[in-house]
Amino acid sequence: MSEEKQTVLECRDVGVRYGDVVALSGVSISFARGRIHAVVGQNGAGKTTFARAISGLVSPDTGEIRIDGRILPTGNVNQARQAGVELVHQSFALPPSFTVAEAMQFGAADGRIYSRRGLESRWQTYLDNLNVNVKAGQRIRDLPVETLQSVEIARALVSDARLLILDEPTAVLSPEGAQKLFERIRHLKDVGVTVIVILHKIREVLAIADTVAVLRGGMLVEGPVECSGINAEKLAELIIGPAARPLEDDQKAALTGSLDTAHAHLAQSVDQAAVEPVLKLTAVSTRPDSDGPPLEDIDLVIRPGEILGLAGVEGNGQRTLVRAISALAETSEGKITIEGLDVTRASLQTRRAAGLRVIPFERNVEGLSLTSALWENWSARELLQRPLLSMVRPTELRQRCGTALDAWEVHYSNVTQHAGSLSGGNAQKVILSREMDEQARLIIAAQPTRGLDIGATAFVWDSLNRARARGCAILLISSDLDEIMDICDRVVVMLSGRVVGTFTPPYDLADIGAAMTGVSK
Amino acid sequence: MDDVIIAILRSATPLVYVTLAGVIAQRSGIWHLGLEGLMIAGACATILGTVLTGSILSALLIAMVICIVASILFWFVVEKLKANQIIAGLGLTGLGLGGTTLAVESIFGSQAAVTAPTGLPRLGAMFGAYGTLSILVLLMPLFVLAVWVLLCRTRFGLRLSAAGEHPFAARSVGVNPGRMRLIALMIGGVLCALGGAELASGSLQFFSQNMTAGRGFMAFAAVIFGAGHPIGATFAALFFAIVGAIGIRAQLVFGERVPHDLLLALPYLATVFGIWLSARLRGGVKAVTGFGELRDS
Repeated sequence: MSEEKQTVLECRDVGVRYGDVVALSGVSISFARGRIHAVVGQNGAGKTTFARAISGLVSPDTGEIRIDGRILPTGNVNQARQAGVELVHQSFALPPSFTVAEAMQFGAADGRIYSRRGLESRWQTYLDNLNVNVKAGQRIRDLPVETLQSVEIARALVSDARLLILDEPTAVLSPEGAQKLFERIRHLKDVGVTVIVILHKIREVLAIADTVAVLRGGMLVEGPVECSGINAEKLAELIIGPAARPLEDDQKAALTGSLDTAHAHLAQSVDQAAVEPVLKLTAVSTRPDSDGPPLEDIDLVIRPGEILGLAGVEGNGQRTLVRAISALAETSEGKITIEGLDVTRASLQTRRAAGLRVIPFERNVEGLSLTSALWENWSARELLQRPLLSMVRPTELRQRCGTALDAWEVHYSNVTQHAGSLSGGNAQKVILSREMDEQARLIIAAQPTRGLDIGATAFVWDSLNRARARGCAILLISSDLDEIMDICDRVVVMLSGRVVGTFTPPYDLADIGAAMTGVSK
Repeated sequence: MDDVIIAILRSATPLVYVTLAGVIAQRSGIWHLGLEGLMIAGACATILGTVLTGSILSALLIAMVICIVASILFWFVVEKLKANQIIAGLGLTGLGLGGTTLAVESIFGSQAAVTAPTGLPRLGAMFGAYGTLSILVLLMPLFVLAVWVLLCRTRFGLRLSAAGEHPFAARSVGVNPGRMRLIALMIGGVLCALGGAELASGSLQFFSQNMTAGRGFMAFAAVIFGAGHPIGATFAALFFAIVGAIGIRAQLVFGERVPHDLLLALPYLATVFGIWLSARLRGGVKAVTGFGELRDS
């Protein structure tokens, strides 16, 4: 159907492989000019690789890419930029120490000597014209993510881009931020820019895109088709594919971001208000450090059998809170108790003995030692709780590790293989099997589903639910509001190191979103 | 007073050139521990070149070529062979220190100091007491200014910094971070050659084994002390030179009452102090967390 309209980008049989892994194969697709196109798919479906191949960051092994009918030399960013293709990255590609003006200039075409004032005033005018509300002299590292994204988009438009590709732009945004982004995208469409948005939430696809194309396992399975002719259910099926088992509610919720499936199971824990809390933070504050804003006067209570959701735009003290609870950041004021035990000054060892378990933010950095064997990673919890000179029997540990990993449905070949050889979902399962043992009383789950596909996400949710049923207290930190609203019994919102709101079901997306961005009701 | 300033300028100038090389490398993402090796290679090549060709100009050219070639080798090992840059840098230093000794011995048959017939051009009588300084001393501020403009006032500088700080960002605007590092190291090679030349040929015109005596590492310290900024690092290098000059003065004043070795150690103590101070100013351990890491994803 795109034949009548002018084609801006045409891919023929594009394939990319990284070593043995096929990331994209035989993708042939064309996009019409002046419209908003969505590309969707699960994690690992090849969305990001597709975007990078078009923008020249990745060189395809097969196929050709045409822009306006002309063949684009592949694997060359400069050529792609000259042809008007710009890519806005998922994790922004702006050096943190640069000022906004410098970040604009370093991608620009003009290489003359500049003065700082001249540079700033020139780019300030440019940013003002694009309605980006930022001072050109501000440092990139000081900017909140929403602004950062606007700056990145502005940078992409410096060279007169005609095809703008946005890679998962909503992943880091609050609902309001996403709304503003969508307005910006529509505005770009109005001025004649063709936009390709890579998304993974169907709700967002239907909200913004004119057409949608679906990638699965590195192949194009559908599209681009007009969004008006497709519904969420159909799209969900295309994304997941002819799955062996039918979609469970959790999976469907993870994908479509629908809220109606939630909270049927939530009522049970409400009457437990009188039970002694597992975790209690009383007026906890920390000193400023490099890792986001310090905590200010945090009061928090989690009771047994409760999942408390911690929402907030990233970088508003969530990491510091996790570090304060797990003894990695010093509590300067206030009191922390776990199961009634005052652990404010206690070491992480003592806290873990009291039942604290942590599923950390960065699974490949904090959660696992990628160059160590699976059984070594798995047994770390237990070994650290033993006396310093106790004997270790590797053979027995390896056996028990194997049993545990099997029970957690980890796909691995051998317990001696390195943790780095596992996929994201399997790596997370190893952490779950370590941290969600029978003695766990308080589980801190920091972004436990980030980067996981739907199957693994549902698995993590299921594990959390089972831990709750056992009477664990769970703190779930997530930047995915749908996830939080779906499985949490209560939600608190953090902003600049403070708790600015507490919500109970039924949740209102707009209310939570407003609290996240500081727009008080 | 003049002689104190002359002494300071004499010891500061080689240090500043090498420090600038370190700053450029650091911006491009390389913690350059091979500065010492490049500096002594430059010093040796200048003296041997003067002896063999009789012309200081061709000697300087030889020194630059040798330092550039050594820098390219360093780049190849770090960038293409993916060696740890700290180890590779120390290896380059070892190569410089050992290679120069070997060169002297194989040409002259002994390890004695080599004296050159001519040195770098001097400023001349119109500068009065300062006339004995070489022109590289006069050119030093110009080089500092040029490096500052290059790094802080051009798009090239931004791209160089991006290559070091966020290679992926650099690649996403079509800049090849590896190539930026090559350029940075080659410019650094020229600067190290000049620094070595000034050290060997700026006043005394001789080369002896290990004559850099840790100045390359001091320059590296100045890079950190100056937070990787060309002007800041230059002042850090000047600070080290001033402390060194004070040490020599103090020997004359105190004579035998203070141990001679302690006074000679002053510049090195100042280096340690400087590193500590810069770490304090920038918030403790944070200054070294990114040490030697290149982020590219």
